Amino acid sequence: MISVKNLVKTYPGEVPTYALKGVSIEVAAGEFVALMGRSGSGKSTFLHQLGLLDTPTEGEVTIDSINVLTLSETERTRFRLEHLGYVFQEYALIAEFTALENVYFPAMALGDSDAKDRAAHLLDLVGLGSRLHHQPHEMSGGEQQRVAIARSLINNPKVLFADEPTANLDTESSATVFKLFQKLNQDLNQTILVVTHEPEDKQYVDRVVWMRDGVIES
Amino acid sequence: MTGTDIKAAFFIAYKTISKGHKSTLALIVFILSLSFFNLMFVSGFLSGFSDGIIRSMVETTTAHLAVLPQEVPIKKEYIIDQASVRSGIETIPGIEATTAHYQLGGSFAYDKEQDGVFTYVSAPIIAVNQSEEKAVLSVADNIVSGEFPDTLQKDEIILGANLAGGFGTEQSTDLGGVVVGDTVSVVYGNGVSRTYTVRGIFKVTIGSIGGTAYISTKEAEAILSTFNNASEIMVKADLTKYTLDEYMTRIKSLYPELVVETYTTRLSTVGILVAAFNIIALIVSVISIIVAAITIFVMIYVNAVSKRRQIGILKAIGIKESIIELSYVIQSIFYASLAVISGMMIVFLAVIPFLDARPIMMPYGEATLVFTTVGIIINIVSLLVSGLLAGFVPAKMVARENILTSIWG
Repeated sequence: MISVKNLVKTYPGEVPTYALKGVSIEVAAGEFVALMGRSGSGKSTFLHQLGLLDTPTEGEVTIDSINVLTLSETERTRFRLEHLGYVFQEYALIAEFTALENVYFPAMALGDSDAKDRAAHLLDLVGLGSRLHHQPHEMSGGEQQRVAIARSLINNPKVLFADEPTANLDTESSATVFKLFQKLNQDLNQTILVVTHEPEDKQYVDRVVWMRDGVIES
Repeated sequence: MTGTDIKAAFFIAYKTISKGHKSTLALIVFILSLSFFNLMFVSGFLSGFSDGIIRSMVETTTAHLAVLPQEVPIKKEYIIDQASVRSGIETIPGIEATTAHYQLGGSFAYDKEQDGVFTYVSAPIIAVNQSEEKAVLSVADNIVSGEFPDTLQKDEIILGANLAGGFGTEQSTDLGGVVVGDTVSVVYGNGVSRTYTVRGIFKVTIGSIGGTAYISTKEAEAILSTFNNASEIMVKADLTKYTLDEYMTRIKSLYPELVVETYTTRLSTVGILVAAFNIIALIVSVISIIVAAITIFVMIYVNAVSKRRQIGILKAIGIKESIIELSYVIQSIFYASLAVISGMMIVFLAVIPFLDARPIMMPYGEATLVFTTVGIIINIVSLLVSGLLAGFVPAKMVARENILTSIWG
C-alpha cells in the first residue's frame, strides 16, 4: 500500500536541518503500524511527507501504486481528499462547524449526496452519536479527537495517518482512541500509520517502526 | 469551479459568518458602512452643490431654453411679434411657460446723501412682464427688501443687491446702498433719461443677475419706441418628458430663423465652475472608493489571517484553494452588501432628514444631497467590486501559505 524509498527532508538555512536522512519503508494494505521514537527523531516530519502536507527534498513515495510526489499541487489536494485520512495531534477541527459538519464536509466537497447520513453513522461508530450538533469547544479533548478520526474516515481513505493522536488525552481517552483504531483496522481492514511515543500503544498495532535522528532503526 | 465547489464555498462562508463573533461582524460592517457613507455623502454633497448652482441659474437667469433673434442671413435686434412666437412655442408638448425680455443697458446715478454727490454705475437692465415672468424665472422669490409686483409701474424699478449695494460685501460696481423708496436716475444707451423709484431689491449670488435691474415691458417699449418685440424669449420646459435637445429641435422646426440656446450653453463661467466641481466630485469619489477598498482589504486580510489555522485545516483535509478563496470573496461581498444597506440607511434615514430639519445654507440656497439612480448604482457596484477584489487578494495570500505553517504558525 505504501512504499517509501530514500526519503530526505532538509530544512534550508545558515545551518541546514536534516530532518529525514533517507528513510525507506514498506507498509502493506490493512497493516496497522506504529512509528515510535524520541522527540526530534523525525516521526512527525516523516508523516507530514506521507500525508502530502509537506514536500520532501528527495525520495519517492508511492501510495496505492501512485507516485504521489509527481502529482501537481491540485492533484495532491484532490489525492488528500479522496485517498488519505489524517488525524492531527491537536484535533484540527473547524471551530465554526458542528461535529457532524466537521465530519461530512470533506464528503460534501466531493459532491457526496448522503454525506450527512454517513457522517452521523461514523460519529455513532466512534461513540458520539449523541453529540452530532455540538461544536468543538463544547466537547472534551477525547471527544474532539474522535470527531477528527470520524472526519478522516468519511471518504473511505486508502490510508489513515495519525500524528500523536493521544498526546493531549488522558489515559482512558488514549485507550479509547487506540481501541478505535484497532477496531477500524480489524473490522474495515483500514491501513493505519500512527505516530506515538507511548510504549503501551504497542499492544494495539501489528508492527512498530522505530525512528532515531531522521532514519529508521528497525 | 464546479457547482459542488460553489456549494462548499457558500457553506464555509455561511458557517464562518453565522458562527463567528457577532461583535467582529458588527465592527467590520460598521467601518465599511462608514466608508460607503463617505462615498455617498461626499459625491452626493458635491453633486448637490453643482446641482444647486445650476438650479439657481436656471430658475433666476437662463431658464431651460432661450430663443434669440435671427442672426442669418441678416442679424436682427428683436424677435418680431413675440406674442405670436410665444404662443407657437407654448403649443409644443412639455413646454410649461414662456416669457419675453427686452435687454437694455444704462448708466445709473444715485445721490445717497441728497447733497449733489452722485454715484454712477453702468448695469444691464431687463424689461419683463412680471405676471408672465414669474411662471418662468423666480427672481421675485429672492426679494430681500420691498417687493416685485406683478404690475410694475413705468416709473418703478427693481434692483439687484449687487447693484444697489449694502447687502453684503461692498463692491466698486454698486450704488453704495440704495434702499426701497429711493430714486435713481438712468440714462439709456439711446440717450433717453428716466428717474425711477426703487420698488424692490433682490439678492441672487449665483451668476451675474445680482448686478441687474428690472423695469416693466411697457416702460422698455416706450424707451425703445417698439412694440410686441423681444430681445429674448425664455422658455420653461418639463425635462422629464423630453430632453433639452428635443425641445430645441422642435422650436427650431417652428421658427427656423430664430436662434435657440439651452441653459447648458448659457452657463458660461458658472458652467466652468460646475464642471470643476464635477471633476472634484469625481476625484473625491475615486479616492473614497480606494479608501473603501483598502478598508475592506485590511478587514478581510485581518479576518483571513485570524482564520489561517482554519484555512490550513481545510487545505489539509483536501479542500481546494479556489473553494477557500471563493468562500472569503463571498464573506467579503456579504460584508460589503451589509455595509451598502446600512450606509444607505444612514444617508436616507438619518442624514437627509437631518438636513431637511437643519438645512445648511449655501450661496444658492439650502444644501441638498443629490443622488441619481446611476450614481447610486455606481457607488454600490464600486463597493461590491472593491469587496470582491479586496476579499480575494488576502484570501489568496493566506491560502497560498504552507499547510503546516497555516495550522501551527
